[in-house]
Amino acid sequence: MASNQSKGRKILAQKTQPLQAQDKLTFLLSLVPYLMDHDRIGVAEVAEHFGMTPEQIRDAVRLIGVSGIPGETASYQHEDLFDISWDDFEDNDQIVLTHRVAIDDSPRFSAREASALIAGLQYLSSLPEHADRGAVASLMAKLSRGASAAPSQVTVESSETNATLSLIRDSVEAGLQLEFDYLNSRGEHERRRVDPLRIESLDADWYLRAWCHLREAVRTFRLDRISNPRISAEPITHGIDDVKLPDTLFEGSAHDLIVTIDVAVAAAPLLADYIPDGAVTVEKDGRLRTAVRVSHYHGLKRLIGSMPGVATVIDPPEARRAVAEWAAEGAARYSR
Amino acid sequence: MSYLLGITFVSATSSSAAARVPVEERLFSLVLALLATDAGLSKNEILSTVQGYRQRYAASGDNSNLERQFERDKDDIRDLGVPLETIESPGQVGNNQNLRYRIPRGDYELPADISFSPEETTLLNLAAMVWREGSLSGESRRALLKLRSLGVTTDDPVLGYAPRLRVRDAAFAPLSTALDKNVIVRFGYLKPGERDARVRTVAPIALIQHEGRWLLHAEDQDAGGTRNFLLRRIVTPVTTTNTRHPAFDPSATTRALEELEEIWQSRTADVEVLVGSDAATRLAKRKGTQCSEDGILTLHYSDFALLADELAGYGPEVLVIAPEELREAVRERLVRTAADHGE
Repeated sequence: MASNQSKGRKILAQKTQPLQAQDKLTFLLSLVPYLMDHDRIGVAEVAEHFGMTPEQIRDAVRLIGVSGIPGETASYQHEDLFDISWDDFEDNDQIVLTHRVAIDDSPRFSAREASALIAGLQYLSSLPEHADRGAVASLMAKLSRGASAAPSQVTVESSETNATLSLIRDSVEAGLQLEFDYLNSRGEHERRRVDPLRIESLDADWYLRAWCHLREAVRTFRLDRISNPRISAEPITHGIDDVKLPDTLFEGSAHDLIVTIDVAVAAAPLLADYIPDGAVTVEKDGRLRTAVRVSHYHGLKRLIGSMPGVATVIDPPEARRAVAEWAAEGAARYSR
Repeated sequence: MSYLLGITFVSATSSSAAARVPVEERLFSLVLALLATDAGLSKNEILSTVQGYRQRYAASGDNSNLERQFERDKDDIRDLGVPLETIESPGQVGNNQNLRYRIPRGDYELPADISFSPEETTLLNLAAMVWREGSLSGESRRALLKLRSLGVTTDDPVLGYAPRLRVRDAAFAPLSTALDKNVIVRFGYLKPGERDARVRTVAPIALIQHEGRWLLHAEDQDAGGTRNFLLRRIVTPVTTTNTRHPAFDPSATTRALEELEEIWQSRTADVEVLVGSDAATRLAKRKGTQCSEDGILTLHYSDFALLADELAGYGPEVLVIAPEELREAVRERLVRTAADHGE
């Protein structure tokens, strides 16, 4: 497994295409039953409940107010349409549904929606604070029953709960900073004190994103490089709303090094995270000559060392030498 | 406050051009019309009367563009879990032109006995946030809208702390679609320890996250039997075929996960690590690792070649003690890398 040394590593998160019309349709089909359950409700309250802007709610209500079914005359007569109290709506920002058609209840979940929630629940149940397996199991059964087809099979194994995760949670709850020894990828140990902001996992690895009081900036820490964590006496000063957390886990820096490599064509996607945008790539004899971006050779030698026979550093010479020495030292341990 | 959806509605009344009915209005009108009919509506009835179609319908003329639009709309609506069904007209069995369409209410509505408590709703909110970005984010966003439709209010959890699951493997989205549709897929797979990718044709059974890695459990159409493929090592775009396969029993997923767990339990390696090194810190924290008093770590693993690659990356920080084949595999890898980078 390639080690994740490079700060320049870009997380290629799949940005799904925003299915705008489908989202909007789902919202309309969800809003109608909600309004039916409330004789009279303010736009602001609906906006708060659905996590949308008041204007989005008003637009949707205006659309619902003129929608309906073709009806017996096939011409959308008044009685075939939804109706709202327009005066209440225009003057008081209140929604009162006065006539409804076709819809009686909330829609079922689609198979994929149910499986997204089920996989999310499986993932949560691996965390200490959500470890109530019984509650999770009964919820999963309900979701399956509430789906329009059998949920597709996406499953996350339940893992052991993690003591560090648990302590981070406690630190947030107590409002006190977390301190720990951190081993950076250069092999240096430092005592850090942080305000935890978010926990993320990527592949097999957990990351803590936090405000670091030593660096006075947002930093990403690998959980498996954290040792001796404890809750300090210092109060937390930065919350998730106080700082801008970048969407990517790591960002490239101006100090990054660009290294020329050869990689087997089939294996190039494994290095995609490290290949900078606009790198010149040439194919020859089943190998690609391209470039990778790394923050230092300590990261590079581990990365290349984990892809033996598949990736080779070409240039600069000192990068090549760093890898050669690293591997030779490793091999030498077997001949003693 | 943060907004769940960055979407804007085009008000139907503000548009002066009646011919341009917004997509969501057309889809909404179609769902309403099909929910309201028991006998179903024929395609012609839909195109000529339903809002958004009727404006573009030519009473005597070519409606093929509009028909194609209707086909796409049907797919979009079904994707959302709306059970849009096709029935044959009585007395006209086999006549495709006279198919009728409807949405049976019982299959559309959430069963009346399903409700969620505030605690359950909080948990589901968190579960949806796990996918805030990535392949299933659209699905969880829409699931949340449907959940909110039920009106249960919750105390907001500490949202900033919500854990996030990132799936960056490009294969995830096409494979989960294929799972949903029970179709055969094809992709180039680079097996750990090999240099060249081979094309695999498989029937997907499940997407499984094991030891933090996403795997596709699938039936191999060429070799027969089931295999696990690491999503990370699917190195070509996934091709979805039109060939459907019979649905698999959900128990196949549970069984696959149990098998993975058994394999992982049964395979171990003993390694010696340099004190205070990156290898010592990280390998000691791997799930299931046991540390003996003389500084030897016993690791569990699933794939031999993958572990050998990983350990080779630690260079002199790791010395494999056992098994002998792993010792040799790691040594060979290090010698190879050193030679490839020689003068």
